[in-house]
Amino acid sequence: MAEPLDTVVVIETPEHIVFRHRVAGPARRAVAYGIDLIVCYGSLIGIALVLSIVVIGGAFGGQEALANVGIGLFLLLLFCAQWVYFVAFETFTGRTPGKKLMGLRVVTTEGRPIGFTHAALRNLLRVADFLPTAYLLGGSFLFLSKRFQRVGDLVGGTLVVVPEKPTVATANVLWPPPHPAELAAIPQNIVLDADERAAIELFVRRRGALGPAREHELAVMIAPGLAARHGLPLTIDPSRFLAILHDRATHAGRKEAVVRDSLPPPSSREAA
Amino acid sequence: MQRAQTRRIRKLDPEEVRRLAPLYRDTCADLSRAQASHYSAALVDYLQALSASAHGVLYSAPAKGRIAQRARAHAHAVWVAFPRAVRRHWRSMAIAFLLFFVPFFGGFVGAWVDPTYAFKIAPEPMLRQLTESYRQGFSTGRDAGQDTFMAGFYVYNNVGIALRCFALGVLGGLGSAVYLVYNGLATGAIMGYVASQGAGDNILTFVVGHSTFELGAIVIAGGAGLSLGWSMVSPGRVTRIASLQAVAKDLVVIVSGAAFMLLLAAMIEGYWSASGLSSTLKRSIGGAFFVTILAYLALVGREAGAEEGAR
Repeated sequence: MAEPLDTVVVIETPEHIVFRHRVAGPARRAVAYGIDLIVCYGSLIGIALVLSIVVIGGAFGGQEALANVGIGLFLLLLFCAQWVYFVAFETFTGRTPGKKLMGLRVVTTEGRPIGFTHAALRNLLRVADFLPTAYLLGGSFLFLSKRFQRVGDLVGGTLVVVPEKPTVATANVLWPPPHPAELAAIPQNIVLDADERAAIELFVRRRGALGPAREHELAVMIAPGLAARHGLPLTIDPSRFLAILHDRATHAGRKEAVVRDSLPPPSSREAA
Repeated sequence: MQRAQTRRIRKLDPEEVRRLAPLYRDTCADLSRAQASHYSAALVDYLQALSASAHGVLYSAPAKGRIAQRARAHAHAVWVAFPRAVRRHWRSMAIAFLLFFVPFFGGFVGAWVDPTYAFKIAPEPMLRQLTESYRQGFSTGRDAGQDTFMAGFYVYNNVGIALRCFALGVLGGLGSAVYLVYNGLATGAIMGYVASQGAGDNILTFVVGHSTFELGAIVIAGGAGLSLGWSMVSPGRVTRIASLQAVAKDLVVIVSGAAFMLLLAAMIEGYWSASGLSSTLKRSIGGAFFVTILAYLALVGREAGAEEGAR
């Protein structure tokens, strides 16, 4: 099979299970980075304000020493913001607050959570990525590498992914219930191969979210071909035809495929 | 399919932890069955996301236990790993040493012979002020506030320099080389200028305590940067990226060690070097530091005979 054109990375576990991660694109990562900068330097400015208020109070009392302590502490915090913040957060949680907000996570190229070595490398090399200015080098590497890796990611062997939240899909319900006339037009046992079934299912699931014109446009692409292959007349709306065809194929003539009157309409169809 | 709880990380009670692994294996089995027999795409996606998140929990980095606990367990390993890693990259270290100290002596001699030479490297007013402060000596010491200020500044500035010096090594080692030469030249010229103005004794007393840590760490970080660059220029029998990644793991140890040395240097420079103690004491302690560090880097971790991959 040809490699998909999507920005996904395929990971194989020791259980020989293969799963995919969606790799995070530059835009999301830039926003996450922006949030991190705001968190870092925002809190730094806040601390500076508090310190300077304390120090001004102290200076009136004639304590210049206090001012120097304040500046010393501030420089120490500045150092932490530049070098410690990212490493610490990514070592212990795999994500900085900005990444968390954007739903990103850093993993190794094998798909495991990262440790100190990975976090340290990818964030130390941030300064190389920043060169010559404004992450030009890192940005160009991001676009050149297959998996959106900047220099730090390449050296550290890490990826930034968007973990998918497991969502339970609702049952695919044919709505409104098929009309006897519609059913009569399609035989009980339709055989679709796996790819066809998957394609039609994806289409049927998304039907509610598409505009009517687009829905029709997509359905017209495959419905006539399928109808011709099964020797069926395409007398009804092609999209509706696909939905019934799919219902027939997946339920393979079982009874419950037809009796649907008791079910409530799924919300997606209501919206349509 | 009410296994959604498998993902909610840590803070599980023991019973749930016990169930996690079997649940994960079941989910994996379900997933492969679903994939193989082309079940509905939504189901496959769901199982996939589920196993992906469980995989993330199960295969985390080793034992994310309490930090203190791990630190104690690793303390010895780190103590030994740092000098070993430095020795393994001794060639880069030697080159870094030369890249730093040849310009250093060049700058020193240059500024000694012709003090205006130093003005090309650092602004004249700054140098004059610096000389003034060294000429006064440290009989009175500094007040505590200023000590903290300077310590903070040294952490921010010097550790930053060392880390940058390492990171820029990824550009084929050139970034590190430039950083080393520049810093060597600047340090040498400033020292030379101050010495030429007759404050040589005082500045020597000042730097002798922390210079081993500070200059040593910069050279080590720079050497690590050179190793990083070299691993890309000459990867041997693996791809350049793989070579970089392999060497980089080693270098993280070195850089962390160097950063720690610089933290020590900042403390010494902030609180000790400028104190009002006698110069004899400072010099002898400084000498002791030098010998200790050298011995540490050269000797610790040899006895185990585990000098694996001594290249």
